[in-house]
Amino acid sequence: MLTSKKWDPRGKHCYVTGGSAGLGLALAILLTRKGADVSIVARHKGRLGKALELMEAERQTPNQVLRSFSCSLNDATEAWDALEAACKAHGGRCPDAIFLCAGTSTPGFFVEESEESLRRGMDNTYWAGAWTALAAAKRMVRHKAKGKIVFVSSVLAYMSIIGYASYSPGKFALRGLAETLRSELLLYPIDVHIFFPGTIYSPGYENENKTKPKVTLKIEETDDGLHPEQAAAVLLKGVQKDYFHISPDFIGNVFRTTTKGATPLNNVLIDWVYALIGWIALPVWRWTVDKAVKEHRKEHAAYLEERGFFQEDVVGTNGHVEASPGA
Amino acid sequence: MPFWSKESWNASGKHCYVTGGSSGLGLALATTLAARGAHVSIVARGQQRLDDAMKQIEAKRQSPDQIFRSFSADLRGAAGANAALDAITEVHDGRTPDAIFLCAGVATPRFFVESTEQDLASGMDLGYWTEAWTAWAVTKRMVEQGRKGKIVFVASTLGYMSFVGWSSYSPARHAVRGLADTLRSELLLYDIDVHLFCPNTMHTPGYVEENRTKPQITSLIEEGDSPVSPEQAATALLKGVADGHTHISGDMVTELFRAATRGSAPYHNFVYDCILDTAAFIATPIWRSMTDSRVRAHKPEHARYLRERGLQK
Repeated sequence: MLTSKKWDPRGKHCYVTGGSAGLGLALAILLTRKGADVSIVARHKGRLGKALELMEAERQTPNQVLRSFSCSLNDATEAWDALEAACKAHGGRCPDAIFLCAGTSTPGFFVEESEESLRRGMDNTYWAGAWTALAAAKRMVRHKAKGKIVFVSSVLAYMSIIGYASYSPGKFALRGLAETLRSELLLYPIDVHIFFPGTIYSPGYENENKTKPKVTLKIEETDDGLHPEQAAAVLLKGVQKDYFHISPDFIGNVFRTTTKGATPLNNVLIDWVYALIGWIALPVWRWTVDKAVKEHRKEHAAYLEERGFFQEDVVGTNGHVEASPGA
Repeated sequence: MPFWSKESWNASGKHCYVTGGSSGLGLALATTLAARGAHVSIVARGQQRLDDAMKQIEAKRQSPDQIFRSFSADLRGAAGANAALDAITEVHDGRTPDAIFLCAGVATPRFFVESTEQDLASGMDLGYWTEAWTAWAVTKRMVEQGRKGKIVFVASTLGYMSFVGWSSYSPARHAVRGLADTLRSELLLYDIDVHLFCPNTMHTPGYVEENRTKPQITSLIEEGDSPVSPEQAATALLKGVADGHTHISGDMVTELFRAATRGSAPYHNFVYDCILDTAAFIATPIWRSMTDSRVRAHKPEHARYLRERGLQK
């Protein structure tokens, strides 16, 4: 570790999903500034176009290859095809690093979620990352290529609270995949990293707050967020320091070290201090969160009443209304 | 519930709904609950296995008042989960069960680079969605009816950690934990309790299935495991529920990982968890180091394996 060179993006092909906004865009711009060839992938062609313009403004050399690819990353075939197209632009070579920044959050109460919203939640958190990871790993292994796969999860993969039933499971799942692959890809020259940010002030964050339950907002009100540029810088630094789990802030590090399981620590001494702090502070924190939820009961019951939740008869999927049950 | 007034949860007279209840852990739970005087409903896909399971449950009947029901449904989708819930609550006047035990999920370990889209999707269906849809259907209905209850998720030691071979399974089990932790917090709004049981290897038909596809290196890493019977696991699960623990494990290895990944999840007993935390802090890095060495040592054999299968030149 002492003699290994820091990973340098210069001259490397970096493939950034979700690269047209938020963390992904900030990372794409940062990598361009560091001299990398950057491919950004997202759905919206218009946003990709604008993103490319911002990346062009950071161009360091005339040979840098800056490209965009439009696809639905939630679809395994489209994710595969986008990667193939990006490789084609580099003489068929695999990217040196994959940054899986695509993802959105639409919080809400569990009892108000629909089948569609729960599935979409998993698509936008887990599958958006997993399909590209699958395509990239297969390609890298076939070509015996050296590379990095960098997942972006969330502090909500270390713990979860009210409002995130459509979001946390997918973020936890990303951690599960990263843990599996950190171990498994030791069979190949492929490194795995995973980033666990808290709030990032991005267009995604504004959207997320539109559906977020009030009680969740209240619990989070003391949280400090990061701007996408700050988050991108921490992420890149963590990759360069060869950290597996990367946390950008104090809270993230406290959760990282207290949920580490079999995950390697980043710096044994400092991590031990974080863990000790967490050991005392987290039970207290959880107690305050639980208290906030319990205090919200009355207001929540009124909220559900207002939205006609209790007015619906208990109708089974076979269509008939069942006898009104006692409370 | 404040700890000083904790009443030990008792299955007697309660309606317990067990998904995946026709084999493995689910069946062991169903028969144990029947023996403890509960009304038991089981749901699974295969009718034949359900019929066989019902015979075993009937054999444990304690009183003529106990109601045993089975229903065949595919729980991988919301429609199946709702249909199953309708069917098993019909005889209870539409009232939601007092406790649901979400067992399901056959694992299919294999190398990531040999996995298809279908393999990964199926892993998530069987390991996560079968539990999520039923939890969602039951929670909504409990809240509509203003009824309390317990939701017991079942994940795995592989919901706390992972290693080579488990890329279609461990993410799903981590997702179960994510949902369980979210709902433990959120369902405080309705006084619905949430538990998560993480069993290690059990001697079940599922275990036989999983060994069909399991890579050699994965088996090698697991060779120190001593699988338990599903009955032992069921007993541990029910004890954990009775003790009011959110996260429940039935074996020492998983206990260590539970402590090591606890984060902000509730602890069992402060002193006991402190001891576990300390032991885990030392033990898990050693385990990981040994496991990583074994994977690295497997590289040449794996390269041969890939060439044989045309995955590498």
